[in-house]
Amino acid sequence: MTTNFGKKPYLRWVITVGLIFHLLAVIVPPLAFQTRGPLGSSPSVEALITPVRDYSQFLYLDRGYAFFAPDPGPSHLIQAAISDDVGNMTERMIPSLDDQWPRLLYHRHFMLSEFLHEIYEPPGPPPELARIDPIAAHRWEQGRARYEFVRQSIVDHLAHENPGNRVVIRRLEHVLPGFIEMANNPIELDDPRLYRVLRDQSLIPGDVTESAATLPEAIPAPRHTEPDNSNQADQNIEADQSSQAETQPGDPVQ
Amino acid sequence: MTGSLFAVTKRWFKEFVSAWDRFWFSPRYPHVLAVLRIATGLMLLYSHLVLATELTSFLGDHAWINNTTAAQLHDGAFGSSDMGQSYLWHISNPLLLWVHHALTILITGAFAAGLLTRITAPAAWFLQLMYLHRLTGSLFGLDQIITYMAMYLMLTPCGSCLSIDAWLRRTFANQCLTNRKLDWLLPEIRPTVAANLGSRLLQVHLCVIYLFGGLAKARGELWWDGTATWFAAANFEYQSMDMTWLGSYPRIFSAITHITLFWEVFYAGLVWPKLSRPIILGMAFAVHGGIAVCLGMITFGMMMIVANMVFIEPKWLVRTTRDTDAPTPQLKAEPKVQSTFHRREQDRREQEIESAKESLRVREEKLRERVAKLKKRERKVRRAVARLKPSNRNNPDPNTDTDAEDDL
Repeated sequence: MTTNFGKKPYLRWVITVGLIFHLLAVIVPPLAFQTRGPLGSSPSVEALITPVRDYSQFLYLDRGYAFFAPDPGPSHLIQAAISDDVGNMTERMIPSLDDQWPRLLYHRHFMLSEFLHEIYEPPGPPPELARIDPIAAHRWEQGRARYEFVRQSIVDHLAHENPGNRVVIRRLEHVLPGFIEMANNPIELDDPRLYRVLRDQSLIPGDVTESAATLPEAIPAPRHTEPDNSNQADQNIEADQSSQAETQPGDPVQ
Repeated sequence: MTGSLFAVTKRWFKEFVSAWDRFWFSPRYPHVLAVLRIATGLMLLYSHLVLATELTSFLGDHAWINNTTAAQLHDGAFGSSDMGQSYLWHISNPLLLWVHHALTILITGAFAAGLLTRITAPAAWFLQLMYLHRLTGSLFGLDQIITYMAMYLMLTPCGSCLSIDAWLRRTFANQCLTNRKLDWLLPEIRPTVAANLGSRLLQVHLCVIYLFGGLAKARGELWWDGTATWFAAANFEYQSMDMTWLGSYPRIFSAITHITLFWEVFYAGLVWPKLSRPIILGMAFAVHGGIAVCLGMITFGMMMIVANMVFIEPKWLVRTTRDTDAPTPQLKAEPKVQSTFHRREQDRREQEIESAKESLRVREEKLRERVAKLKKRERKVRRAVARLKPSNRNNPDPNTDTDAEDDL
């Protein structure tokens, strides 16, 4: 049995049009997410998403729903070192179950550290790229600026929480052990050997930009950890300091 | 030939429109939606309360992602701009943030309790949306599902039962029957198209979420070689229970991986038939229960289980809640109230009768189709039996032979 909408039979058609529009806004964004490739979005999907883009963005429907996909990967953390004038240093890991409770609060911090990793863009672009493909070079600059602003915001937040102290952060990757390695050589999941420092390094060999050069190692690796002792350079971190920002929030970004 | 094709197309189109009408515009009772409202409201409330423990770490000028950067992530400063905008980007004063947050908690609490739901449901949804656009970078699946649920629930009379509104409706039953605004504000329990639209939209949205979740997984290698579950269990940051013992049982974790992938991909198709629905919903309970208990996302896992409840038929809950929530007739009420009450009661009963007739008609049509099929099959069997009789073997009929091959 269906409703005849009484004195307003046109209402059925109005609702139907609205339904089709909304369903398009629900279905097309994840489709666009999946059909995006090195050449950009699929032209047909791009044509479909154009009329519903603003609507889906405002209603937070523009998601890909790729939970643990395409593959469950390693976690990404932020390690902070907060040091006072005397030289006393405290370490802080984000997220941390010791600092953040309940679990939902911990998860918000976890997502924050994953977000910083997700938007990471190495320093650049190389000058040649600007000549060959100025659009790609510009996009690179914008991506890098986004990363630097978010990183600086995190540093500023920690500096605000610890007034007068020097704050430095770096990104860490927590590698997942395979089940065969685990069977052959059982290891605790928080074993220091499973943490890897992610350097903020230019992709161009020999490039000495401000970020690539970095400051000397300011934070020790996680306690009892030296992730790759053979390569001292790996311990160099992206030195993000409250006093030494390449860009300041509020600066215009082109 | 063209005429026949036209007739077939016309009939198909007519059937399609009729099916579309039945799917979207059949009235539905609001009982399941009331349960979803309580769960969604409580989870939204919990999320806002947890945020309150570190409010200025997530909102304002000294947040992890400060106001300026949060706005720049959406306004095109770092590339393309989007419509994910929030007025919270412009609130720096901590006192104002606290007042805003307290108001949000109050409205969300009222939504959960079913107080003035017609107003508090859209308000709770809008406030949640503003928080989402401000909290870019610290969101995950929970935020998505509770926002979508609040969005669809606000379209429905989800506050008409299991709510303070239902109690108010009983208390002011007479006024509700004579005052249209009050009647809208405190809706009565009856099957409505709005309840059906909200339910259907959430059902379809869930199918989209699972379909693309499954397709995204199908692009990975670990979901095919069976190790994805192991790597999810071995993630220290996610785990809330040590599941590394699974590593000793590759057959178990690989089976879980494959089942999860196929369940997710085929959810959109198998959740609709009544025969496969209990299996699909049972698996949803198992998968999300596992995520809640083992992978540290109890809030997300619980809400996904609750969202799957939208596939439960409201009639299962109608009997249990009807006695307590149905408006009681006021025998000594004024004649106008009595007549309105009786007219509505009659409408409701007529709706129920129509609904029963419709389902009987659909069942009869299916039975007729089944009988026609059985008769057709019977004819074929009779022909096959006739062919196999010894008298026919010596003098086979070429036409019958073709039929026999078809039958085989």
